[in-house]
Amino acid sequence: MNTGSDMLWLALVVLGGSLAVALTLVGVLLLRLREVEQRIPEKESGHESVLDRLLENEFRLRTIIESEPECVKLQAEDGTVLEINPAGLRLVDANQPADIIGRKIYSVVAPEYIEIYRENMRRVFAGEAVVYEFRAITLTNRIRWMETHAAPLRDARGHIYALLGITRDITEHKQAEEQARRHQTELARVARLSTMGEMATGIAHELNQPLSAIANFSRGCIRRLRSGEITTEEMIEPLVEVCEQAERAGEILRHVRDFVRKSELKTKPMDINQIVRAVVKFTEHEARHHRTMMHLQLDPKLPKVEADSIMIEQVICNLVRNAVEAMAEANSPRREITIRTHLFGNDAIEIEIGDTGPGIDEAIMDQVFDQFFTTKPDGVGMGLSISRSIIESHGGHVRAESGGTGASFRFTLPTSEGQTTKHERADSLHS
Amino acid sequence: MNEPTVFIVDDDQAVARSLRWLIESVQLKVETFASAQAFLDGYATTKPGCLVLDVRMPGMSGIELQERLTVQRIRVPIIFITGHGDVQMAVRAVQAGAFDFIEKPFNDQDLLDRIQRAISFDSEQRARDSLRARLSALLASLTPREREVLNLVVEGMSNKAVANTLGLSAKTVEVHRAKVMEKMHARSVADLVKMAMQNQET
Repeated sequence: MNTGSDMLWLALVVLGGSLAVALTLVGVLLLRLREVEQRIPEKESGHESVLDRLLENEFRLRTIIESEPECVKLQAEDGTVLEINPAGLRLVDANQPADIIGRKIYSVVAPEYIEIYRENMRRVFAGEAVVYEFRAITLTNRIRWMETHAAPLRDARGHIYALLGITRDITEHKQAEEQARRHQTELARVARLSTMGEMATGIAHELNQPLSAIANFSRGCIRRLRSGEITTEEMIEPLVEVCEQAERAGEILRHVRDFVRKSELKTKPMDINQIVRAVVKFTEHEARHHRTMMHLQLDPKLPKVEADSIMIEQVICNLVRNAVEAMAEANSPRREITIRTHLFGNDAIEIEIGDTGPGIDEAIMDQVFDQFFTTKPDGVGMGLSISRSIIESHGGHVRAESGGTGASFRFTLPTSEGQTTKHERADSLHS
Repeated sequence: MNEPTVFIVDDDQAVARSLRWLIESVQLKVETFASAQAFLDGYATTKPGCLVLDVRMPGMSGIELQERLTVQRIRVPIIFITGHGDVQMAVRAVQAGAFDFIEKPFNDQDLLDRIQRAISFDSEQRARDSLRARLSALLASLTPREREVLNLVVEGMSNKAVANTLGLSAKTVEVHRAKVMEKMHARSVADLVKMAMQNQET
């Protein structure tokens, strides 16, 4: 939480406290007034001036409470709303005070929070000041998250006669929290995906072992057979080895298949611009670290794309990182990445990631998407090849270009509508 | 002379056995080791041959084994076998003195040719070493004066010039020179020159 809102809360709590004190004072004064009325009824003029002062005080307090931007309310021990300011009325979507005053506060508390609310009320009426969160269902049935700072109000004899509550709407804050949590789990999935590249290298190394062994055993046999220096009996052992190594290779591939099956595409209509912004958010730090500027030129009126957002994030992330690294590696004086989105034909959207780096050498242009092709000293050459398979499994295409200003990678994704028409077309072909 | 041996160090036993099977098909002697440490423990430096080494191995890597051998002045030629993406590593290994490297998957003939080249390199290296050892033993048997005479003769001086340079009589130089020829087992001045040149090649 930032200091600004901390300060605001401090101010509100202080205000709440002073309101409590003031209201107590009003109570005390009223009691005094009654005494004065009883004891000296003859002193009419004095009586009037005290009353005036009391009325004045109460008016002042009322003005403060009513102009207060947060909800301020008084509640009885049974939950009856005694008083509520206009901000409070707005909070529960009430049109007039009568909509809520005199009713039980529980009528706007979500059922699963009523018990928690009751417990906090009990604590306040036992003399505690408490802070609690709850889900509210407003009078117009909107669901909002609320946070209440509540304190007991005491009369002159110290008896707690009401709860003073200051409540604010924390729905947005809650949603942001929820989103952050959800993003965390998604990031874990991305992390698993980015290790896919490393895993693929591992698999390549693993597979190379049995394949080399098979080749060596077979070639050893061929050489001996050609020179006629091997008996049938002597052939058996190396051939058994060949079989065993073939099985070993099969075993490795089975593991890979299991892994791939676990990461099937889960596509749904997605806003591509939102995906781009998400990627920018988690690559920003790296870009800034390499003094790279990121520009977005996103067409706001694009139809949704049919995509697995995590997979596409992975692709864009990979392209952005490549650009950042290429410009840093080449020590490019101007380091800018521009991400553009626009309509491509009738049923696709094109995403372009362009940089101002050294570009791609014409000679290797055809190889950049190949597996194990890399220009990085410690690269494994899996990033672009995985990116391409992700795009192609979405029914899109990816291509690389290199011009005077740097390299650019463009890929297309079918729009959700385009996807539907294609399915329909496929269906009509079948029928 | 000892028969050359191909020493294979690979943690993958199946790969090591397959390499043995392949290399033995060209009548070469093979010894396999499951780790770099096992090789260091079991290798007798007097055995000629070459080392076929996987770059990536758990424990001591191929590169580390190369470093150890360099430190211990063991000059057995090394052929590195590398996987995908290790070429950079192999290039560094060659720069650090490895004989050669070959990338998986490799052609069998290609590997066998490299092994043959490494073996010839090793045997030439060993021949040079032993010749140099023999020469230095022969040179050590010469007296200082004979050594002086040898150096001047090898430079192409006549007996007379040698005599003048050293302030000796031609007769004495003649005697020293005969003694040098005898001790060095040389039949002619040309033989002596050749030996001197071989000795200078370090």
